[in-house]
Amino acid sequence: MTTSLAERDAGTPPTGRGPAPARDDRPRRAGAWRPVALAAGAVVSVLAIVVAVTIGTAGVTLADVWGAILLATFGGTLQPDFSQAYSIVTELRLPRILLAFGAGAALSVAGAIMQGLLRNPLVSPFTLGVSPAAAFGAALAITLGGATTLPAWVIILSALGMALAVSAFVLSLASAKKMAVATLLLLGIAVTQLFEALTSALQFAANENTLQAIVRWTFGSVNDANWGDVQIVWIVLLLSLPLVLWFAKDLNAIAFAGDDAAKSLGVNVGPLRVGLIVVSVLLASVVVSFCGVIGFVGLVGPHIARLVIGADHRYLLPASGLAGGLLLLLADTVGRTVMAPAVIPVGIVVAFIGAPIFINLILTRKTALR
Amino acid sequence: MSLVIDDVRFSYGKHLVLDGVSLEVQEGTFCALLGPNGSGKSTLTKVVAGVHRPASGGVRFRGDDVLGLGRRAHARLIGYVPQSAEVPFDLTVREAVLLGRTPHFGIGPGRADWERVDEAIGLLGLEELEGRSISQLSGGQAQRVLVARAIAQDTRVLLLDEPTSALDLRYQIETLQLVRQITRSHGITALIAIHDLNHAGRFCDQAVLLHRGRIQRAGTPAEAFDEAALADIYGLDVTVEERDGYVEVRPVVHELELQR
Repeated sequence: MTTSLAERDAGTPPTGRGPAPARDDRPRRAGAWRPVALAAGAVVSVLAIVVAVTIGTAGVTLADVWGAILLATFGGTLQPDFSQAYSIVTELRLPRILLAFGAGAALSVAGAIMQGLLRNPLVSPFTLGVSPAAAFGAALAITLGGATTLPAWVIILSALGMALAVSAFVLSLASAKKMAVATLLLLGIAVTQLFEALTSALQFAANENTLQAIVRWTFGSVNDANWGDVQIVWIVLLLSLPLVLWFAKDLNAIAFAGDDAAKSLGVNVGPLRVGLIVVSVLLASVVVSFCGVIGFVGLVGPHIARLVIGADHRYLLPASGLAGGLLLLLADTVGRTVMAPAVIPVGIVVAFIGAPIFINLILTRKTALR
Repeated sequence: MSLVIDDVRFSYGKHLVLDGVSLEVQEGTFCALLGPNGSGKSTLTKVVAGVHRPASGGVRFRGDDVLGLGRRAHARLIGYVPQSAEVPFDLTVREAVLLGRTPHFGIGPGRADWERVDEAIGLLGLEELEGRSISQLSGGQAQRVLVARAIAQDTRVLLLDEPTSALDLRYQIETLQLVRQITRSHGITALIAIHDLNHAGRFCDQAVLLHRGRIQRAGTPAEAFDEAALADIYGLDVTVEERDGYVEVRPVVHELELQR
């Protein structure tokens, strides 16, 4: 450190671009803690998932969890006295916990992408109207197909199709206006209002059973989690992450320098914005279709991550995934224990947990939001 | 060896902003784009910066076509300092300057990138602030960060779009002095859109007067600042005098008209 002080004194207004000063180790060290923090976050996440499996009314020990995972992964014979614990772990708890974590991570990554792209820390993956569109898709399927007889995958497909179709519509309208940020935000508001009204209209006309099914769907929960859901959500998440990380520095340029400066920094702003919004919408749509509307995590997750690891998207995107995953895992664990055996939908709990955290974040920020 | 802007036309929708602008800036010199609001000077910097594509015309540097370059190649040749930058996120000064390295690295910055960042931070005297969040900076400091970012971009051409409008007098002078110094010490070609005629006259080698998307006059400030031409362009009578070796433009204010 003494050398750098000396240099500072020596070259007060330096003008030449001569060789760099001999503090060449320092630059790299400046950000070296971030990968470490990410790795630590990943370890904590795995531990949290394992611990969460042991929590619940039916007693399951850590050893049971480990045994069940080994058995399920490598095969073997299932002892009769272990079969109850085994099925609780592999059929009930693990799928719902992994779905909760995956869904939280996906929503949070989608939120971080949207906040960066639209240069606005207040937007979430649902800003373009994904969740009301998906809810309407589900409500439409439930109304047309009947609340009890309809297989779950029809509702999921209807929700997914509607969410993607509406997002494509919003994006094509916005591209006519050169994907301007204000245009996207306003179109999102319009679409949200429209589809909330459409769902309300269906609810208004629905009979008792249908109404209940529609409302239940919109709560957002991981109660019906199965391995198929887990696979799809995690595959979409794990395919999206490397893709968005590849463009993270370009996302940095858009988020921190604005469209014009990002172009002058060599970023293909228009196509990149469309591409990354598609990824974000896809992540959000898949989660909403399987779990219903889980608000807040897509807004709060990136904020928590930003507070811990900074705004650089190369680290923020994975950190957002971890923060969102942990937040939803915590919310679901609370939801299935506080009033056990009753299970409160995670979409409700996450708002109870997330709102105080978010308010605290806003009030303790060093600088005011502009 | 120069930056050549050749018959550039550009319009926002139906509104023609640049109506055939041609101009040559010698390498290593500092050129000012002057003119009233809406004259097209900001737009011209954005066309050369690659932010806007012109409807027709060309931009060449050292004889090579610039507009045909890919975005990244373009960004390694020409840097751009925008008018202002609101950043809605907490970002340190160092991270903000690193953005200038975007066209140079792949996924993550290497040692050479950080060295350039540190050089730029040193050149603009931002060492004390480098760990500070840019949302905590004053307007003048934030503007210096933007200039540092463009310096870190390490380009042969530097474009500045009214970088001094938000600054107080001292930082206006310091910024202009710095840009002039860089053109001299690094052989960088600088083009600045600026309002203040006297600052342009003091620091720039060449002055170009734009009006309604056309160049009205160009040359050294002493050649370009013609009383009649300025009066016509700005719709205001002016006097042009030489003072300490530099031209100075003063508006003529008619007392009677004000009192009426």
